[in-house]
Amino acid sequence: MSEAHLTNEFQYSSAGHRAETAISGMWLFLATEVLFFGALLLSWIYCRHWNQAGFDAGARQTQLAIGTINTVILVTSSLVYSTGLAFMEAGNTHRLIQCCAIAWGLGVAFLILKFGIEWHRDFAEHLFPGQDFAISGSLGGGARLFFVFYFVSTALHGLHMIVGLILVGWIILRARRGEFSFIYFTPVVVVGLYWSFVDIVWILLYPLIYLVGRGS
Amino acid sequence: MVAWGLLLVLLAAEFGASFLPLARSARPCVLIPAVFMVVVVGTAFMQVKLGPTVVRLFAVAALLWLSILLGLGSLDPMTRTNYSVRAENLR
Repeated sequence: MSEAHLTNEFQYSSAGHRAETAISGMWLFLATEVLFFGALLLSWIYCRHWNQAGFDAGARQTQLAIGTINTVILVTSSLVYSTGLAFMEAGNTHRLIQCCAIAWGLGVAFLILKFGIEWHRDFAEHLFPGQDFAISGSLGGGARLFFVFYFVSTALHGLHMIVGLILVGWIILRARRGEFSFIYFTPVVVVGLYWSFVDIVWILLYPLIYLVGRGS
Repeated sequence: MVAWGLLLVLLAAEFGASFLPLARSARPCVLIPAVFMVVVVGTAFMQVKLGPTVVRLFAVAALLWLSILLGLGSLDPMTRTNYSVRAENLR
Protein backbone atom coordinates (compact mmCIF):
# COMPACT_ATOMS: atom_id res chain seq x y z
CA MET A 1 0.00 0.00 0.00
CA SER A 2 1.35 3.42 -0.88
CA GLU A 3 1.93 6.03 1.82
CA ALA A 4 -0.39 8.42 -0.03
CA HIS A 5 -3.41 6.49 1.19
CA LEU A 6 -2.54 7.15 4.83
CA THR A 7 -2.11 10.88 4.36
CA ASN A 8 -4.85 13.34 3.64
CA GLU A 9 -5.27 16.40 1.43
CA PHE A 10 -5.52 19.91 2.93
CA GLN A 11 -9.33 19.92 3.00
CA TYR A 12 -9.45 16.95 5.40
CA SER A 13 -8.43 17.05 9.03
CA SER A 14 -7.41 13.37 9.02
CA ALA A 15 -7.49 10.18 6.96
CA GLY A 16 -10.62 9.18 8.90
CA HIS A 17 -12.27 12.47 7.92
CA ARG A 18 -11.46 11.73 4.28
CA ALA A 19 -13.01 8.26 4.54
CA GLU A 20 -16.16 9.65 6.19
CA THR A 21 -16.46 12.25 3.44
CA ALA A 22 -16.22 9.60 0.72
CA ILE A 23 -18.84 7.40 2.40
CA SER A 24 -21.16 10.35 3.01
CA GLY A 25 -20.72 11.43 -0.62
CA MET A 26 -21.84 8.03 -1.84
CA TRP A 27 -24.90 8.15 0.45
CA LEU A 28 -25.78 11.59 -0.93
CA PHE A 29 -25.48 10.22 -4.48
CA LEU A 30 -27.69 7.27 -3.51
CA ALA A 31 -30.28 9.71 -2.11
CA THR A 32 -30.51 11.30 -5.57
CA GLU A 33 -30.81 7.82 -7.08
CA VAL A 34 -33.78 7.14 -4.76
CA LEU A 35 -35.58 10.07 -6.37
CA PHE A 36 -34.52 8.92 -9.86
CA PHE A 37 -36.10 5.51 -9.31
CA GLY A 38 -38.92 7.13 -7.30
CA ALA A 39 -40.23 8.69 -10.51
CA LEU A 40 -40.31 5.19 -11.99
CA LEU A 41 -42.31 3.93 -8.99
CA LEU A 42 -44.74 6.81 -9.40
CA SER A 43 -45.24 5.94 -13.07
CA TRP A 44 -46.10 2.38 -12.00
CA ILE A 45 -48.66 3.64 -9.44
CA TYR A 46 -50.23 6.03 -11.95
CA CYS A 47 -50.36 3.68 -14.94
CA ARG A 48 -51.63 0.68 -12.95
CA HIS A 49 -54.30 2.72 -11.18
CA TRP A 50 -55.96 3.72 -14.45
CA ASN A 51 -55.37 0.40 -16.27
CA GLN A 52 -55.46 -2.31 -13.60
CA ALA A 53 -56.86 -5.18 -15.68
CA GLY A 54 -54.58 -4.57 -18.67
CA PHE A 55 -51.54 -3.88 -16.48
CA ASP A 56 -52.06 -7.16 -14.60
CA ALA A 57 -52.64 -9.01 -17.88
CA GLY A 58 -49.20 -7.80 -18.97
CA ALA A 59 -47.60 -8.81 -15.65
CA ARG A 60 -48.90 -12.38 -16.04
CA GLN A 61 -46.82 -12.73 -19.26
CA THR A 62 -43.51 -12.17 -17.44
CA GLN A 63 -41.06 -14.99 -16.65
CA LEU A 64 -41.61 -15.47 -12.90
CA ALA A 65 -38.95 -18.20 -12.51
CA ILE A 66 -36.21 -16.06 -14.05
CA GLY A 67 -37.23 -13.02 -11.98
CA THR A 68 -37.19 -15.04 -8.75
CA ILE A 69 -33.82 -16.67 -9.49
CA ASN A 70 -32.39 -13.24 -10.31
CA THR A 71 -33.62 -11.90 -6.96
CA VAL A 72 -31.86 -14.74 -5.11
CA ILE A 73 -28.72 -14.08 -7.19
CA LEU A 74 -28.59 -10.38 -6.33
CA VAL A 75 -29.34 -10.89 -2.63
CA THR A 76 -26.56 -13.50 -2.52
CA SER A 77 -24.14 -11.20 -4.33
CA SER A 78 -24.74 -8.48 -1.70
CA LEU A 79 -24.03 -11.03 1.05
CA VAL A 80 -20.85 -12.18 -0.68
CA TYR A 81 -19.60 -8.62 -1.20
CA SER A 82 -20.27 -7.63 2.43
CA THR A 83 -18.45 -10.81 3.52
CA GLY A 84 -15.48 -9.66 1.44
CA LEU A 85 -15.65 -6.28 3.16
CA ALA A 86 -15.55 -8.01 6.56
CA PHE A 87 -12.45 -9.94 5.42
CA MET A 88 -10.87 -6.65 4.31
CA GLU A 89 -11.54 -5.11 7.72
CA ALA A 90 -9.49 -8.00 9.11
CA GLY A 91 -6.75 -7.30 6.55
CA ASN A 92 -7.38 -10.35 4.37
CA THR A 93 -7.02 -8.99 0.82
CA HIS A 94 -6.93 -12.46 -0.75
CA ARG A 95 -10.41 -13.29 0.57
CA LEU A 96 -11.68 -9.85 -0.51
CA ILE A 97 -10.59 -10.59 -4.09
CA GLN A 98 -12.30 -13.99 -3.98
CA CYS A 99 -15.55 -12.52 -2.65
CA CYS A 100 -15.52 -9.68 -5.19
CA ALA A 101 -14.91 -12.19 -8.00
CA ILE A 102 -17.90 -14.27 -6.86
CA ALA A 103 -20.10 -11.15 -6.53
CA TRP A 104 -18.97 -10.08 -10.01
CA GLY A 105 -19.80 -13.52 -11.43
CA LEU A 106 -23.26 -13.42 -9.82
CA GLY A 107 -23.82 -9.98 -11.36
CA VAL A 108 -22.89 -11.31 -14.80
CA ALA A 109 -25.23 -14.30 -14.28
CA PHE A 110 -28.03 -11.84 -13.48
CA LEU A 111 -27.43 -9.91 -16.70
CA ILE A 112 -27.27 -13.09 -18.80
CA LEU A 113 -30.58 -14.32 -17.34
CA LYS A 114 -32.23 -10.92 -17.68
CA PHE A 115 -31.10 -9.77 -21.09
CA GLY A 116 -29.76 -12.92 -22.75
CA ILE A 117 -32.72 -15.16 -21.92
CA GLU A 118 -35.68 -13.20 -20.54
CA TRP A 119 -35.62 -10.22 -22.89
CA HIS A 120 -34.92 -12.59 -25.79
CA ARG A 121 -38.07 -14.58 -24.94
CA ASP A 122 -40.08 -11.38 -24.47
CA PHE A 123 -39.14 -10.18 -27.93
CA ALA A 124 -39.83 -13.62 -29.43
CA GLU A 125 -43.30 -13.61 -27.84
CA HIS A 126 -44.00 -10.10 -29.24
CA LEU A 127 -44.21 -8.50 -25.82
CA PHE A 128 -42.26 -5.42 -26.83
CA PRO A 129 -44.93 -2.67 -27.08
CA GLY A 130 -44.56 -2.18 -30.82
CA GLN A 131 -46.76 -2.81 -33.88
CA ASP A 132 -47.22 -6.57 -33.48
CA PHE A 133 -47.79 -6.55 -29.72
CA ALA A 134 -49.13 -9.91 -28.48
CA ILE A 135 -52.00 -8.64 -26.31
CA SER A 136 -54.90 -6.97 -28.10
CA GLY A 137 -58.48 -5.98 -27.30
CA SER A 138 -59.61 -4.09 -24.22
CA LEU A 139 -56.54 -5.18 -22.20
CA GLY A 140 -54.04 -4.20 -24.90
CA GLY A 141 -53.56 -0.57 -23.82
CA GLY A 142 -52.85 -1.40 -20.16
CA ALA A 143 -50.61 -4.31 -21.13
CA ARG A 144 -48.60 -2.04 -23.44
CA LEU A 145 -48.15 0.43 -20.60
CA PHE A 146 -46.96 -2.40 -18.35
CA PHE A 147 -44.35 -3.51 -20.87
CA VAL A 148 -43.16 0.07 -21.37
CA PHE A 149 -42.59 0.16 -17.60
CA TYR A 150 -40.99 -3.30 -17.72
CA PHE A 151 -38.49 -2.53 -20.47
CA VAL A 152 -37.58 0.96 -19.19
CA SER A 153 -37.16 -0.13 -15.56
CA THR A 154 -35.17 -3.29 -16.32
CA ALA A 155 -32.97 -1.41 -18.82
CA LEU A 156 -32.20 1.32 -16.26
CA HIS A 157 -31.51 -1.27 -13.58
CA GLY A 158 -29.32 -3.22 -16.02
CA LEU A 159 -27.35 -0.05 -16.76
CA HIS A 160 -26.75 0.39 -13.03
CA MET A 161 -25.69 -3.26 -12.83
CA ILE A 162 -23.11 -2.73 -15.58
CA VAL A 163 -21.71 0.31 -13.74
CA GLY A 164 -21.62 -1.81 -10.56
CA LEU A 165 -19.74 -4.60 -12.35
CA ILE A 166 -17.16 -2.09 -13.62
CA LEU A 167 -16.72 -0.76 -10.07
CA VAL A 168 -16.40 -4.25 -8.52
CA GLY A 169 -13.86 -5.11 -11.25
CA TRP A 170 -11.95 -1.92 -10.36
CA ILE A 171 -11.90 -3.01 -6.68
CA ILE A 172 -10.52 -6.42 -7.70
CA LEU A 173 -7.75 -4.78 -9.77
CA ARG A 174 -6.78 -2.38 -6.98
CA ALA A 175 -6.83 -5.17 -4.39
CA ARG A 176 -4.60 -7.31 -6.64
CA ARG A 177 -2.15 -4.38 -6.82
CA GLY A 178 -2.07 -4.38 -3.02
CA GLU A 179 -3.59 -0.92 -2.64
CA PHE A 180 -5.86 -1.89 0.28
CA SER A 181 -5.12 -2.86 3.85
CA PHE A 182 -7.04 -3.04 7.13
CA ILE A 183 -6.10 0.66 7.56
CA TYR A 184 -7.25 1.89 4.15
CA PHE A 185 -10.15 0.28 2.28
CA THR A 186 -12.63 3.16 1.80
CA PRO A 187 -13.26 2.43 -1.93
CA VAL A 188 -14.34 -1.12 -0.97
CA VAL A 189 -16.95 0.36 1.41
CA VAL A 190 -18.15 2.94 -1.12
CA VAL A 191 -18.55 0.44 -3.98
CA GLY A 192 -20.30 -1.95 -1.56
CA LEU A 193 -22.90 0.76 -0.82
CA TYR A 194 -23.58 1.18 -4.54
CA TRP A 195 -23.76 -2.59 -5.11
CA SER A 196 -26.28 -3.04 -2.28
CA PHE A 197 -28.33 -0.11 -3.57
CA VAL A 198 -28.63 -1.76 -6.98
CA ASP A 199 -29.81 -4.85 -5.07
CA ILE A 200 -32.45 -2.73 -3.26
CA VAL A 201 -33.75 -1.35 -6.56
CA TRP A 202 -34.25 -4.89 -7.86
CA ILE A 203 -35.90 -5.99 -4.58
CA LEU A 204 -38.55 -3.32 -5.25
CA LEU A 205 -38.83 -3.91 -9.01
CA TYR A 206 -39.31 -7.67 -8.59
CA PRO A 207 -42.80 -7.51 -6.97
CA LEU A 208 -43.86 -4.59 -9.18
CA ILE A 209 -43.05 -6.54 -12.34
CA TYR A 210 -43.64 -10.17 -11.46
CA LEU A 211 -45.87 -10.47 -8.39
CA VAL A 212 -48.52 -7.78 -7.98
CA GLY A 213 -50.39 -8.66 -11.17
CA ARG A 214 -49.75 -12.40 -10.95
CA GLY A 215 -52.72 -13.72 -8.93
CA SER A 216 -55.40 -11.29 -10.10
CA MET B 1 -25.65 -15.00 7.04
CA VAL B 2 -28.68 -14.39 9.31
CA ALA B 3 -29.59 -11.36 7.20
CA TRP B 4 -29.32 -13.46 4.01
CA GLY B 5 -31.58 -16.15 5.51
CA LEU B 6 -34.07 -13.49 6.58
CA LEU B 7 -34.05 -12.03 3.07
CA LEU B 8 -34.80 -15.44 1.57
CA VAL B 9 -37.65 -16.01 4.07
CA LEU B 10 -39.13 -12.61 3.19
CA LEU B 11 -38.72 -13.38 -0.51
CA ALA B 12 -40.58 -16.67 -0.04
CA ALA B 13 -43.35 -14.86 1.88
CA GLU B 14 -43.65 -12.31 -0.90
CA PHE B 15 -43.68 -15.03 -3.55
CA GLY B 16 -46.38 -16.99 -1.69
CA ALA B 17 -48.49 -13.87 -1.01
CA SER B 18 -48.59 -13.11 -4.73
CA PHE B 19 -50.81 -16.17 -5.27
CA LEU B 20 -53.38 -15.15 -2.61
CA PRO B 21 -56.81 -14.30 -4.04
CA LEU B 22 -56.62 -10.59 -3.15
CA ALA B 23 -58.79 -7.92 -4.73
CA ARG B 24 -57.03 -6.15 -7.60
CA SER B 25 -56.83 -2.88 -5.66
CA ALA B 26 -55.39 -4.68 -2.60
CA ARG B 27 -52.67 -6.51 -4.52
CA PRO B 28 -49.96 -3.88 -3.88
CA CYS B 29 -49.95 -5.30 -0.30
CA VAL B 30 -47.68 -7.98 -1.82
CA LEU B 31 -44.98 -5.28 -1.65
CA ILE B 32 -44.90 -5.27 2.18
CA PRO B 33 -42.22 -8.03 2.50
CA ALA B 34 -40.14 -6.13 -0.09
CA VAL B 35 -40.12 -3.07 2.17
CA PHE B 36 -38.79 -5.23 5.02
CA MET B 37 -36.17 -6.66 2.64
CA VAL B 38 -35.00 -3.12 1.88
CA VAL B 39 -34.68 -2.46 5.64
CA VAL B 40 -32.62 -5.66 6.07
CA VAL B 41 -30.24 -4.76 3.21
CA GLY B 42 -29.93 -1.18 4.50
CA THR B 43 -29.08 -2.22 8.03
CA ALA B 44 -27.12 -5.46 7.51
CA PHE B 45 -25.23 -4.90 4.23
CA MET B 46 -25.10 -1.08 3.96
CA GLN B 47 -24.71 -0.63 7.73
CA VAL B 48 -26.55 2.67 7.81
CA LYS B 49 -26.29 2.70 11.63
CA LEU B 50 -22.48 2.56 11.67
CA GLY B 51 -21.71 5.43 9.29
CA PRO B 52 -21.23 9.10 10.21
CA THR B 53 -24.35 10.97 11.43
CA VAL B 54 -24.73 12.72 8.10
CA VAL B 55 -25.23 9.31 6.45
CA ARG B 56 -28.40 8.76 8.47
CA LEU B 57 -29.48 12.30 7.59
CA PHE B 58 -29.09 11.54 3.87
CA ALA B 59 -30.95 8.23 4.24
CA VAL B 60 -33.87 9.88 6.09
CA ALA B 61 -33.91 12.79 3.62
CA ALA B 62 -34.09 10.34 0.70
CA LEU B 63 -37.07 8.58 2.28
CA LEU B 64 -38.74 11.90 3.11
CA TRP B 65 -38.44 13.24 -0.45
CA LEU B 66 -39.50 9.88 -1.87
CA SER B 67 -42.63 9.91 0.32
CA ILE B 68 -43.40 13.47 -0.84
CA LEU B 69 -42.88 12.46 -4.48
CA LEU B 70 -45.07 9.37 -4.23
CA GLY B 71 -47.63 10.98 -1.90
CA LEU B 72 -48.23 14.11 -3.96
CA GLY B 73 -47.99 12.18 -7.22
CA SER B 74 -50.57 9.65 -6.06
CA LEU B 75 -53.08 12.25 -4.89
CA ASP B 76 -54.65 12.68 -8.31
CA PRO B 77 -55.21 9.00 -9.19
CA MET B 78 -56.32 8.16 -5.64
CA THR B 79 -58.81 10.99 -5.22
CA ARG B 80 -60.17 11.78 -8.69
CA THR B 81 -63.79 10.85 -9.33
CA ASN B 82 -64.73 9.92 -12.86
CA TYR B 83 -68.32 10.71 -13.88
CA SER B 84 -69.94 8.93 -16.78
CA VAL B 85 -71.05 11.11 -19.66
CA ARG B 86 -73.76 10.20 -22.18
CA ALA B 87 -72.51 9.89 -25.73
CA GLU B 88 -75.15 12.33 -27.07
CA ASN B 89 -73.81 15.05 -24.77
CA LEU B 90 -70.38 14.85 -26.36
CA ARG B 91 -69.76 17.28 -29.18
